[in-house]
Amino acid sequence: MMTHGLEMQSVSKFYDAGSERVTALDRVSIRVEPGEFVAVVGPSGSGKTTFLSIAGALLKPTEGAVFLNGKNISALPDKQLSDIRLREVGFIMQASNLVPYLNVLEQLLVVKRMSGKVTPADKAFAAELLAELGLAERMKRYPEELSGGEKQRVAIARALMNDPGVILADEPTASLDTKRAHEVVSLIARAVKTRRKAAVMVTHDERLLSYCDKVYRMEDGRLSLADPAPVA
Amino acid sequence: MFLALKEIRHSKTRFVMIGIILVLISWLVFILSGLGNGLAALAASTFKNMDADYVVFEKGSKASMGKSLLSGELTARLTEIPGVEAASPMGIIFGSAVRESGDPEEFKLDIALVGIEPGSFLEPDVAEGAGLDAGSPTHVLANESLKDEGFRIGDTFVLDGTTEELTIAGFVRDQTYNHIASVFIPIETWRKLAFAAPGSDKGLKDPVNAIMLQGKDIDPNAINERLPGTETVTRGQAVQGISGYKEETGTIFMMLGFLFVISAFIVGVFFYVLTMQKSNQFGIMKAIGAKNGFLGKAVISQVFVLSLASILVGILLTYGTAAVLPKGMPFRLETSWVIAYSLILLAISLASALISVRTVVKIDPLKALGRVE
Repeated sequence: MMTHGLEMQSVSKFYDAGSERVTALDRVSIRVEPGEFVAVVGPSGSGKTTFLSIAGALLKPTEGAVFLNGKNISALPDKQLSDIRLREVGFIMQASNLVPYLNVLEQLLVVKRMSGKVTPADKAFAAELLAELGLAERMKRYPEELSGGEKQRVAIARALMNDPGVILADEPTASLDTKRAHEVVSLIARAVKTRRKAAVMVTHDERLLSYCDKVYRMEDGRLSLADPAPVA
Repeated sequence: MFLALKEIRHSKTRFVMIGIILVLISWLVFILSGLGNGLAALAASTFKNMDADYVVFEKGSKASMGKSLLSGELTARLTEIPGVEAASPMGIIFGSAVRESGDPEEFKLDIALVGIEPGSFLEPDVAEGAGLDAGSPTHVLANESLKDEGFRIGDTFVLDGTTEELTIAGFVRDQTYNHIASVFIPIETWRKLAFAAPGSDKGLKDPVNAIMLQGKDIDPNAINERLPGTETVTRGQAVQGISGYKEETGTIFMMLGFLFVISAFIVGVFFYVLTMQKSNQFGIMKAIGAKNGFLGKAVISQVFVLSLASILVGILLTYGTAAVLPKGMPFRLETSWVIAYSLILLAISLASALISVRTVVKIDPLKALGRVE
């Protein structure tokens, strides 16, 4: 069966810490459809990062299967995983995770460069993305000249640059004030809807859950659907 | 290349500082090699520029002109040995040239008096004036450096302690022996000057210091057997036998060797630290899909651009330095050596950059998902 978006089937991850075996993820199953924006909340140490790393092809699961756009990535070698990350996954990481010596436009184009040449069409697409995110005037600026909110908007544009099927956001509002946090998350939500991406946001910030279609709660490596989003 | 250049442009100060260190290292390498070349030329250019393949010395002289004394009669017998195409005797003594007239203190000049047969293959090309002539036994050929001391063609001088008046017939280029100017003189006249003291010729007929041979297929052992009491070495070995030559060039090459080893470490550590500082960035780029090859190329091309530019600046500085060095300083740059040392330096930089590439490969993209809360 061909599924689009992200699907995890009974994924577990174990770490060996000394003589103990730590269960970071315990039989996690989730399915995120294109156009769906899902949040994963939970206390630190609950396994959110491990979950996101496995969904983003950064980490291999110990058990279970991970499908990205219908492709099972759980057993691919490292070399192909970097290719999957490049083509199928858009990462939005915490603020300041931009390359310091590239300007805003180049932040996007470097993604294209990783897979080969930059075409004029790529440039046009990058400019379009940046304009959509309100960064048209900031294209030649360097990260050090941008505010935290602007940096995060650049990160959103970068995640969309390769037109991936899946968007993964890792605490995208960690260093932002409430106003900017709302702005950034609403932009992600809008991009997910208009561009039909399957999106997962890991956060501990419960103010922002109203933008999401579903909220999952992670506790001790187990993922469960939370009650209707709590109002901030 | 794209990332490499972007980063250099963005953090100019940092890269200029590393560049300066590379420039200084390459500058030092080139200066040392120029000095080494210059010294080696000063010590042995008369020997090095000679059109001879082998040198016959007295047995036990350890290829040193000063320790060797042979009879000139051997020359004829040497030409009969298979492989020997030509043979010609040679002698060297040191002395002071004293210019006639004026204050003798002022006009004393150390010279190496080289006795050769006029017209033989040992006579160097004349740069100015006339060559040696068997018919004019007191006419000599002097190294050009004597011009700087005020000597002109036709000037006369005597060797300190003798009465023979010698006339400069012409000048030759790049002829020094043991760091002092060579003066070529017909061997008959040389003998008169060298063995003026009774008994100093040890009773040999037509004494000379050594006999130079031409011939690519000479078998030194065959000569040693045919002519007992002789010792035949290649010209290169004879150069090594010049007193002080080995020690001098050895010192310079030792310094150069150490410099290369040290520069490998300095450059390697710099690039390593630079890469470690950026490990977070590399982690991010890996997380968004950059392959090791992409990042490795960025590191290597950055090192290449930086090293190449620095070495070129180093070469320019070296030629600039050579232009302002005092004339008496023995400094000689040879393009082939400059190119060779540039390539060695470039290779060292790139090799040490490979260590940095290894750390890039090891960086875990998971680093990008670190928490800052």
